[in-house]
Amino acid sequence: MTLFPVLTADKVLRGSEKLSGTEIASMTLIGLAVVFVALLVLVIFLYATGGIFKKQSGKPKKAAPQKAAAPKPASPKAAPAAPKKEASPSASPAPAADTDDSEVIAVIMAAIAAMGAADGKKYRLRSVKQVTRGGSGRSVWAQAGISDATRPF
Amino acid sequence: MGGVLDFITNTLGGLWSDSGLRSLFADGGWKNLIMILVSFVFMYLAIAKGFEPLLLLPISFGMLLTNLPMAGLYHPDLWVLVDGHVNYGEVLKEGGLLDILYLGVKLQLYPPLIFLGIGCMTDFSPLIANPKSFLLGAAAQGGIFFTFIVAGLLGFTAAEAGSIAIIGGADGPTAIYVSTRLLTGGGAITTGNIALAAYTYMALVPIIQPPIMKALTSKKERSVKMEQLRTVSKTEKIIFPIAVTIIVSLLVPSAAPLVGMLMFGNLLKESGVAARLIDTAQNALMNIITIFLGISVGATTKAEQIINLKFGGVMLLGVVAFSLGTACGLIFGKIMYKVTRGKVNPLIGSAGVSAVPMAARIAQKVGAETDPTNFLLMHAMGPNVAGVIGSAVAAGVLLSVIG
Repeated sequence: MTLFPVLTADKVLRGSEKLSGTEIASMTLIGLAVVFVALLVLVIFLYATGGIFKKQSGKPKKAAPQKAAAPKPASPKAAPAAPKKEASPSASPAPAADTDDSEVIAVIMAAIAAMGAADGKKYRLRSVKQVTRGGSGRSVWAQAGISDATRPF
Repeated sequence: MGGVLDFITNTLGGLWSDSGLRSLFADGGWKNLIMILVSFVFMYLAIAKGFEPLLLLPISFGMLLTNLPMAGLYHPDLWVLVDGHVNYGEVLKEGGLLDILYLGVKLQLYPPLIFLGIGCMTDFSPLIANPKSFLLGAAAQGGIFFTFIVAGLLGFTAAEAGSIAIIGGADGPTAIYVSTRLLTGGGAITTGNIALAAYTYMALVPIIQPPIMKALTSKKERSVKMEQLRTVSKTEKIIFPIAVTIIVSLLVPSAAPLVGMLMFGNLLKESGVAARLIDTAQNALMNIITIFLGISVGATTKAEQIINLKFGGVMLLGVVAFSLGTACGLIFGKIMYKVTRGKVNPLIGSAGVSAVPMAARIAQKVGAETDPTNFLLMHAMGPNVAGVIGSAVAAGVLLSVIG
């Protein structure tokens, strides 16, 4: 089955011959029309299947970027105890993430502890919150990653 | 004693008359010398400047080999049609190494196999997430058809005009595929001319596109930030190549070899069950075909086919084709900007010419120049990969209509 029978029939233009004005105009119009029609059919198909899959997944079109408050620096209060991992959950009243982020928090604590170790200071981690950069809807880490990956030349 | 001297003189004379050096200084030999120098220029561009080195280097070396007199690696006369057909028996019997490798070009084997590898490496998610991108990919093909008008008006034959116009698709394998089918040999323009122009301009995309992009868009349009694309499910990614193959092949059967292989490669990738095949298709197979394609296409650039006015015309129309393709994509991008009330950045329209991923990177770069916090790369990848499909469809149309 061919939807454009004219395109599989005998060749319309002879390759070895020069073109007349009518042939040039017809070829251009037909060529552009066929390319647009073919790709338009694909657009319609993709919108149709996309709609079905979005319905099936039951998710909204775009996950709203989580708005979060400006970053709060970890309290620089000196604490007598070393910032042990188990001390953190009790010390941090509301870790912003809704999943279990205890490993990430431990890593952050370790990094802060390492920074403080050099000058003998000890820090307590009170809260960890996700930060988004104004306008872009991305976290600073995502922003930095994209900047790095899209720096072209 | 005299006999010995005669023998030595005759032998040396014979060696000299059979040597390429003598042919180089015989009638018309200077053209070969110029072509050898041209091949050095392309080698320099590939090695020192990094212009499409994976293809320009084999093409330029093929150019060098074919223009060495008496080397006999490639014989253009074997490829001239006799009663509408190439005498393949003669090619196998008399042909040199590059004639044999050129069989893969003439029989249209290499470009679809390269498309297989490209399919394995291409992520169509940005296109699936934003199907409107297809229209930008279609609009940029205007470069092909508007160049066809210019070439036709300048007196090129239908086959030559079609082969020149396809350069506007900014897709090397497609340009080679179309020109090999349309150009039957014996004419002033060869597949080598078309490939040379196509790859030269593809390498020059970072120079050709930005001025056109800036001239056709306002600062306000360039600074539009587009919505983040939705996540595409694995099932959608698997359905996509199958659906595109069926739809495009039914609409334009002549595009089936290119689009079919592109989509086959993509299905291998997205299926996630054919790791070994993907590895071969996108690495070993693609590299082998690239070497064969490049060196044999380079071999078609014999001096007499390059040093003529028509090749100058091809080069000139090639840059026209690229520029028109970019402009058409941008203009359609501007229309989408108006229709969506400023939600589409027109710059992504310029990526509708194929040249993956360079054209998308240019859109990103020009967008970031206006607003460094604007990331258009993924949005531009949609029209960019749509352009590959669009140029294959346009190629199918040219092949269907021109005989």
